[in-house]
Amino acid sequence: MDTYLVSVLNGLSMGSLLFAIALGLSLVFGMMDVLNLAHGAVYLAGAYVAVALAGDGTGLMAFVLAVLAAAVVGALLGGALAGLTRTTRRHLDQALLTLGVALVVAELLSLAFGDDVRSIAAPAPVDDGVKIFGATYPVYRLLVIGFGIVLAVAVYLLIERSALGSVIRATVSDRAMVSALGINTGRVLVGVFAAGAALAAAGGVLAGPILGAQPGLDEKVLLLALVVVVIGGLGSVRGALLGAVLIGQVQAVGTTLLPEFASFLIFAAMAVVLLLRPAGLLPARSAVHA
Amino acid sequence: MGVLSAIARTLRPAPAVAALTAGALALSACGGSSLDQSGGGESGGPVKIGLLIPLSGVYAPLGQDMRDGFTLYLDQHGGKLGGREAEVVSADEGEGPQTGVPAAQKLVSQDRTTAVVGVVNSATALGLRDFFTESKQPLLVANAGADAITAGRKSDYVWRTSFANGKVGAALGPAVAKEAEGGVYLIAADYAAGREMVAGFRKAFEAAGGKVAGEKYTPFGKTQDYQPYLSAIRSSGAKAVYAFYAGAEAVSFVKQYKQFGLSDEIDLYGTGFLTEGDVLKAQGQAAVGTKTSLHYSAELDTPRNKEFVAAYQKAFNEPPTVYSVQAYDAAAALDKALAKTKGAGGQKLAEALGEVGPIDSPRGSWTFDAAHDAQQKYYLREVRSSGGTMVNAVVSELS
Repeated sequence: MDTYLVSVLNGLSMGSLLFAIALGLSLVFGMMDVLNLAHGAVYLAGAYVAVALAGDGTGLMAFVLAVLAAAVVGALLGGALAGLTRTTRRHLDQALLTLGVALVVAELLSLAFGDDVRSIAAPAPVDDGVKIFGATYPVYRLLVIGFGIVLAVAVYLLIERSALGSVIRATVSDRAMVSALGINTGRVLVGVFAAGAALAAAGGVLAGPILGAQPGLDEKVLLLALVVVVIGGLGSVRGALLGAVLIGQVQAVGTTLLPEFASFLIFAAMAVVLLLRPAGLLPARSAVHA
Repeated sequence: MGVLSAIARTLRPAPAVAALTAGALALSACGGSSLDQSGGGESGGPVKIGLLIPLSGVYAPLGQDMRDGFTLYLDQHGGKLGGREAEVVSADEGEGPQTGVPAAQKLVSQDRTTAVVGVVNSATALGLRDFFTESKQPLLVANAGADAITAGRKSDYVWRTSFANGKVGAALGPAVAKEAEGGVYLIAADYAAGREMVAGFRKAFEAAGGKVAGEKYTPFGKTQDYQPYLSAIRSSGAKAVYAFYAGAEAVSFVKQYKQFGLSDEIDLYGTGFLTEGDVLKAQGQAAVGTKTSLHYSAELDTPRNKEFVAAYQKAFNEPPTVYSVQAYDAAAALDKALAKTKGAGGQKLAEALGEVGPIDSPRGSWTFDAAHDAQQKYYLREVRSSGGTMVNAVVSELS
């Protein structure tokens, strides 16, 4: 029984990371109708920021600094991607464009950091383990769960309760009307894109002590994020949260229960959701809700 | 997406290759008379050796080490193999057969090499065996470990200077059976190499009286979080673990093994790839105490190895890995065989490879056996911290 509780805990920490990464992908698709295939590359850029700034175990301050630096890098990349994708409205063009950006970014990272596997140590005070359910569990993963909860609440308040959130939601429902009110909708959209990318890059740092950084990780993470978005429903914060927690649990608990089917589990979960709820579990309604 | 990125990576210009090609053009211009580009002639011109190694993708670090090892041998021998000027043409093996096979075909048919050295990926090596047999050109496999490349389905033209998966695992079996104070849990990445490494180990381990506490295969290339498996190991009551992972998976597995506190209670054994080269650097302190079997360690305390390590360190500013040695030895085997054939390739060279006798290698002396594999010693290694850096200290020889 204890084994399963540890797995549930572990699923929650993976879910928290997936939420941070998939949120931007979901919002950008839901709000701007852009499928950003460079999202994984943005994540990887964040992971390499952590390699550069906090590679071999540093204090908490340096780690927080790395998170902020990665967020800035992510925001810049996101802003650039927003500008690029606005030049065309066709989905296929946008997909190819962002895929191209993803390849270029991944190649630049490989040139700058080499092809070796790099690991990122958890910051000093939280790099140990604690006894939970009779087994050692890394403290850092517990912190990640805490971060996920804080992020979920913050995003809910921002989108659903703040003035900025209502502008964002209104922009999605009726962009022309919002422009007529004198609000620069282009800036709102670029802002959302940049914020989503910043979250993905920050996620790259936070996931660093668990997943490390190496060429090819961008594609794995992008795939997981796409599964989360498809399960949760496009463009919805609640959907991304539900999808992330679900996939985290399916991976952790599912693998414990059915290790033989580990590689199919998340896709099986996705197939079931698509059969029963083709639009995802909690898709955005006409307007975007948190 | 994977395919597209592979294409993009292949497009990366390789200055070294361009330089070599330019050098080759200059050389053949100087030769003047030589129209014989087949490399099979005995005209006294240079021999052309193809280096088929991953220059891109997940195996690129291995390719780098192999190229360095091969280059070092040439540098130490005046750039000559078998008394002939050696001309090296590199091609990118990439991550699998879809890139590796065409690259090999290009080396053989377009660059007209005399022999090809390299191949990291087993699937690529298996896909190339028949091609090299039909082309009547020797292939020296300097890494790919699939059991089926040699032994039962061996080809006259394919020789291996590295290892067979099953044999690396088997070498460790009796030692673990003796040391472990209870059942041993077997875990590996779910692909051919993982299963062969475990099968070889299990057979030797059980023959020596060992008891298996559990056996599990994790999805290859898709597993980032090993917690569910680590929990299963803990609840199985195993006293030791035998693991096969390489590259990024080896880093994740060993680090998480430590993070979840297993390293304090359950001894970790594995084949040497678990802690070899750059992987060990990324694992750092987490790998301390891990015991592995391999046919080489840079820490090997022999005059031959010390001299090799010093030269390698001087040339490339990092310690050699097993991958460097495998390519270094491929050059040595080719050197001897080409000396026998006086530079001729084809069937003569393939036969000569069988008669090269013992190779004086940094790993210790070895010979090609009847299966076309390296008949060699294996070492029990333990990861220790030496002045802040992690090394694979040699504990003993495994018989």
